[in-house]
Amino acid sequence: MLNPSETLIRIIDLHKSYYDGESELPVLRGIDFEIKTSELLAVVGASGVGKSTLLHIMGTLDRPTAGQVIYGDQDVFTLQDNELARFRNKEVGFVFQFHHLLPEFNALENVAMAALITMPNNKAIYDEAAALLEYVGLAERLSHFPSQLSGGERQRVAIARALINKPKVVLADEPTGNLDQRSSEAVHELLWDLNAKSGQTFVIVTHNSELAEKVDRVVRLVDGKVVSTGLDLSD
Amino acid sequence: MKFEWFVASRYLRSRRKQSFISIISIISIGGVALGVATVILVIAVLNGVEHGLKDRFLSNEAHVALHIFDHSFFKGYQERIQRIEAIENVVAASPVIWAQIGIFPEHSNTIQDAIYIKGIDPAQEDRVTGFSTFVTGSTDFQDSELIKKTELFREETITGGIILGGRLATRLGIMEGDVLRLLIKLVDPGHGSLVPDLANFVVIGFYESEMEVYDNNFGFIHIDAAQELYNQENRVNFIFVRLTDAELAPQIATKIEDAADFSVLEGMPSTRTWMEAQAPLFAALRLEKIATVFIEVLIILVASFNIASTLIMTVMEKTKDIGTLRTLGSSRGNVMRIFMIQGSVIGTLGTMIGTALGLSICWLLSTNTERPSYWYVLALVVPIVLQFLIASQHALRNRGGWKFAVGILWLIGIGFGLYCAVRPISLVDLGLSQIYQMHQLPIKINWLFVIFINLLSFAICWLATLYPAWQAANLKPVEALQHE
Repeated sequence: MLNPSETLIRIIDLHKSYYDGESELPVLRGIDFEIKTSELLAVVGASGVGKSTLLHIMGTLDRPTAGQVIYGDQDVFTLQDNELARFRNKEVGFVFQFHHLLPEFNALENVAMAALITMPNNKAIYDEAAALLEYVGLAERLSHFPSQLSGGERQRVAIARALINKPKVVLADEPTGNLDQRSSEAVHELLWDLNAKSGQTFVIVTHNSELAEKVDRVVRLVDGKVVSTGLDLSD
Repeated sequence: MKFEWFVASRYLRSRRKQSFISIISIISIGGVALGVATVILVIAVLNGVEHGLKDRFLSNEAHVALHIFDHSFFKGYQERIQRIEAIENVVAASPVIWAQIGIFPEHSNTIQDAIYIKGIDPAQEDRVTGFSTFVTGSTDFQDSELIKKTELFREETITGGIILGGRLATRLGIMEGDVLRLLIKLVDPGHGSLVPDLANFVVIGFYESEMEVYDNNFGFIHIDAAQELYNQENRVNFIFVRLTDAELAPQIATKIEDAADFSVLEGMPSTRTWMEAQAPLFAALRLEKIATVFIEVLIILVASFNIASTLIMTVMEKTKDIGTLRTLGSSRGNVMRIFMIQGSVIGTLGTMIGTALGLSICWLLSTNTERPSYWYVLALVVPIVLQFLIASQHALRNRGGWKFAVGILWLIGIGFGLYCAVRPISLVDLGLSQIYQMHQLPIKINWLFVIFINLLSFAICWLATLYPAWQAANLKPVEALQHE
């Protein structure tokens, strides 16, 4: 069983700047915090403050200008691109504001995709994918294509997809930002349930105060820095 | 690799599910297929023409002609012929006197034409060039009825009979039994000015090989008459040789020169092969072939640009999905292979279909069977209508069986349509049979070339996938995800 107090991810003095010709645009200016196993963490902050950038770097989709992201004792940015892809495949799940499902593939295939990248096509993968879809309440929709699903359903497929390889952490970028009230609630319930039942670690970038209220801890970003880590939600 | 195939094959397929393959894939495959089919077809026609012409030439042309360097006459030709015929791969040899002379047709006092005269021994010549098979009329140069009749009614001395090229005769209005005067040389009878030495020949037949060169420019007389005309008793200036295989001419030519064994006084031996004689024509054909291959390769290149642009479009369209795939943990290599597989499948299918199409059309163009009317091409309406139905009827769209059946119907429809529409092309109808002596457009498939063009097409198509695939692999995941 996972040890809840164990540190899962350490983010150390993380900097990220974008360059537009000569001018440097710093987005992250030295971020430090830790995420514990089974934690449900929200990253909040004003638009453009670098929440998504932070999430992308944590998910190894982008490299920082400076600083480290350490999973367990693995400094991930010492890895080569191919190793990083493999790491991402095994250890990180993503859920985006827009579902980002692949339109040519049905729900079951979309969920199985991450497992298919490294493993030979087999029934076990599809059984696992089907079980996940059943868990998110889409048992009847396995062969439906994204275009045949509603917004909330798509997002639930996306969550199932993030879980297929049993990643250490699921990174969610505004997972309900594009959904109506009812669908949002269903997705929230799902995340809570997953965290409670399987101890899955979640990092959720959100504007949604309702969501942020229910998390274990909130990391607030202002001007590219962490100003508070705790449950303090006041601006 | 399984994963890449899984994704690539889905990208090749139609998203709207009206058919197995997306329209854009079909267009790309069609481009390559048409390119390859055209190359195979055009080269088969050029090959066919070359072979047809060669066959025509060799039916009445000696493979090797032996002579002394300056075309002077030599003795002892029968012994030399015996020695030449002893060489391996030599079928037969015949003595020939070859000259150019001016001719005066009857009732004409000016030279009407300068023609080639071949003085031959008909029996020996037959074994080398099949001479008598092309003659209408008599081949009895010495004692033809026509000669006897003419000698009876005319005062001039008749030297012998002459067989004239059919077209030459038509052109000059010369009939069978006419007397033709040949201007052999100028002589000085002793009073200081030169007078022409003429000989009279009776036209006893016509030579109709339907090869322009011979029919329009040649006359044949008996070798004895020719020797008499030139005062070259027991001498000739050429020996013509036929081989078992015309392609051996260059190698055997030197052996023939050795066997002829000319003395230093007689002169330098020399040979001319049929290839050298027809060099300009075959050089032109080869040049045409090279130019054609060049153009055809450009066609395939154009088709490969089609593949490249299809892939680039797919990469652009799928940018966001590529971002997603990278997020899920696909490596650059995974992404690169997905698009290379997609392009390679298009190239391979296109090349294979093109080869099948090209070879089928070649077969149809060279097979003389009773074909259904051209109207039956309209059978293609059946798959078109069904395809339209599938596209418009929701209920039919998702039925795999329907799509498969329509796919088969398309195949049958196109095959049957081609069978009705593509027939051997008659050169007689086009008025070209006279010149080429071929009744229909000749087709000869060069299998080595088919293999070569297949490999080339695979290679070009594969190269065309490299840039788009590389482009896809190098998309930055974050930027790709945010792509709209």
